[in-house]
Amino acid sequence: MGDASPPTGGTNVEGETPRIEPTVETEEATITDEAELERTLGLSGGLAIGIGTMIGAGIFVFPGLAAGNAGPAAAASFAIGAVVALLVALPTSELATAMPKSGGGYYFISRGLGTLAGTVVGLSLWFGLVFATAFYLVGFGYYAVDTLAELGITVGEGLVIPTALLFGAGFTVLNVTGTENAAKLQNGVVALLLSILVAFLAYGGLDAAGLIGDPAAPEQFAPFGAVPVFSTAALVFTSYLGFAQVATVAGEMKSPGRNLPLAMVGSVVIVGVLYVVTVFVATSAFGSDRLTELGETAMVEVGRHYLGTAGAVAIVFGGLLATMSSANASVLSTSRAIYAVSRDALLPAGASRINLRYGTPHVALGLAGGPILVLTATGRVELLAEVASFLHLIMYGLICVALLALRRDEPDWYDPEFRVPGYPAVPVLGAICSFALIGFMQRASQLVGVGIMLLTAGWYFYYAGDVELRGNL
Amino acid sequence: MTRTLVPVAILEGESVPAGLAELLEPTDVTVLGYHVLPEQTPPDQARLQYEDRATDALEDLAREFGAEEGTADYRLVFTHDAEQTIERVAADTGAGVYAITGATGPIDRLLVTLTSDVAVERIVSFVAELIGDREIGVTLFLATDDESAGRELLETAAGPLSERGIDVRTQLSLEEPPLEALIDAAADHDAVVMGEQAPSLRTLVFGEAAERVAAESFGPVLVVRRLEGEDEREAAGSSSLSDGRDE
Repeated sequence: MGDASPPTGGTNVEGETPRIEPTVETEEATITDEAELERTLGLSGGLAIGIGTMIGAGIFVFPGLAAGNAGPAAAASFAIGAVVALLVALPTSELATAMPKSGGGYYFISRGLGTLAGTVVGLSLWFGLVFATAFYLVGFGYYAVDTLAELGITVGEGLVIPTALLFGAGFTVLNVTGTENAAKLQNGVVALLLSILVAFLAYGGLDAAGLIGDPAAPEQFAPFGAVPVFSTAALVFTSYLGFAQVATVAGEMKSPGRNLPLAMVGSVVIVGVLYVVTVFVATSAFGSDRLTELGETAMVEVGRHYLGTAGAVAIVFGGLLATMSSANASVLSTSRAIYAVSRDALLPAGASRINLRYGTPHVALGLAGGPILVLTATGRVELLAEVASFLHLIMYGLICVALLALRRDEPDWYDPEFRVPGYPAVPVLGAICSFALIGFMQRASQLVGVGIMLLTAGWYFYYAGDVELRGNL
Repeated sequence: MTRTLVPVAILEGESVPAGLAELLEPTDVTVLGYHVLPEQTPPDQARLQYEDRATDALEDLAREFGAEEGTADYRLVFTHDAEQTIERVAADTGAGVYAITGATGPIDRLLVTLTSDVAVERIVSFVAELIGDREIGVTLFLATDDESAGRELLETAAGPLSERGIDVRTQLSLEEPPLEALIDAAADHDAVVMGEQAPSLRTLVFGEAAERVAAESFGPVLVVRRLEGEDEREAAGSSSLSDGRDE
């Protein structure tokens, strides 16, 4: 990839050019002309980002909502989501090993399909992550209120949004000022969460299967028919949005050719299994009506059903940790997404400034945190989740298309260490499924999603119409 | 010729004392300018903003160590983990020694500490190479609870140094704990040479001995790197560092 890239990348409306330099990638560092960039994240760090981003939503927010929509067949909805996520994770892995740089999906699409697609995806990814983070924060708010309730302090749901806003602002400020190594903390949180969940699900699973405890009340598997199973899959797809976030730190992964595919595919498989088992356990405990009634924090009552107060406390605690880790991981990914488009002159260069005092990208973090708070204030859980999924699914579909385009031309620089198995079926199916899931969403979410895409396309024509990114490594 | 790695936190205003450049004059030097970033910041983002400033500062430093005579060069690395970067660049450049910088003027006497588990021979031959025919004295220091074996080790190590006309003294410490005795002894010397220790529970809890000595004494500390690590790395190829050091 060191060969002469096209001499110019064009300029944006302010006369800035993409800041692209030839680099040499090794297992342990990226080497540019003057400097080296150390790769410091290992496989466990990559898995922690993927799992940590995903697990909060799928287990601690969705089971109640999903079971309400699809009955026990919600487990099938989660399984469908996992299959679609895998169909996208494999092509994403190939592209990430061919271009192990910060920016993830945006980077692959802008290099494979050109600047227009790149701008739409890059800016939509920013908004998609903002919607996702707001969704995680609202989930966090529900768990915070429930935690207080478990402690005997009843404050009512009126405090959900204020709590979410407070913590959203807190995360943003902490990310600007905090220089402690939170990666280790994140790894610990994810490990602790997985332990709680595996223990709980193992017990609940045995109970639900009728091996211990009281036999469960049987309910029809898909009481509302097949269509809700798919529309629920579209809703809960938000629980799988984390795997591509692994690609946003591709430039910092050690041995990217091995660790990136393992981290992306591995995190999807791990959370997919946990989700399906969770929904099975939840729908075995209560009927769908009861779960709908319990809403966002239905899992707390499921915990109480199986293990009494201890179970409820374990789930409340897990829910707090999980939604917090999802929100925090997404704030970080958002800031990286903004950096990636700003480096390519699709946003003003000032957006990627780092402040001298803390060494953190305060402008990008602010551009993440501000909109997140506005959206959190709306408190519309399902809308937030679906718009986030919409914008991510567009990116996922285009990632698959970019892979097909690159494989067809196979430019000289394209030399991935990992090649997707089952080509071309996997990327073709991945693209079709990604776009198809969008079709099952609520009309409101689709309109908001399309509106955002039109805005970003308009921005491209106004601001960056002359920027040339295709094949510009 | 031995290559010494001098890691410097280049954008934190860390400077290198003149005495260190003078002491290291006979060896090849790689100045490693590194900048540690919080994980919120992609290293590439910091590079875009700080590369020019860091490169200017590094060029000046490398000149002090003899870049113009061809005995010094520099590397610039943006990283989340300084220790990993120092390890990698040391292995990459084949540096046998790394320096922990500290304030010092002209160097008259080195404290060379020997420990039974660090190759005495390599430390002694590095010291001989470092001093050459300069008027720098050496105190060989050993902390042990076995007095007779300790004396023998000190005599064996002192032999080749005095043969080269270096003024050698020996100091055997039977006091406990050894590290505190070493830090006391370092106070009367201008710089310390010691071997890198194998990682142990103790180094995990208290930090590497060399870093503690550097923190307690004011002078620079030259750490002779362990060979076992290098051997493993060469045998397994450069790609395999990844897993043992996962975050």
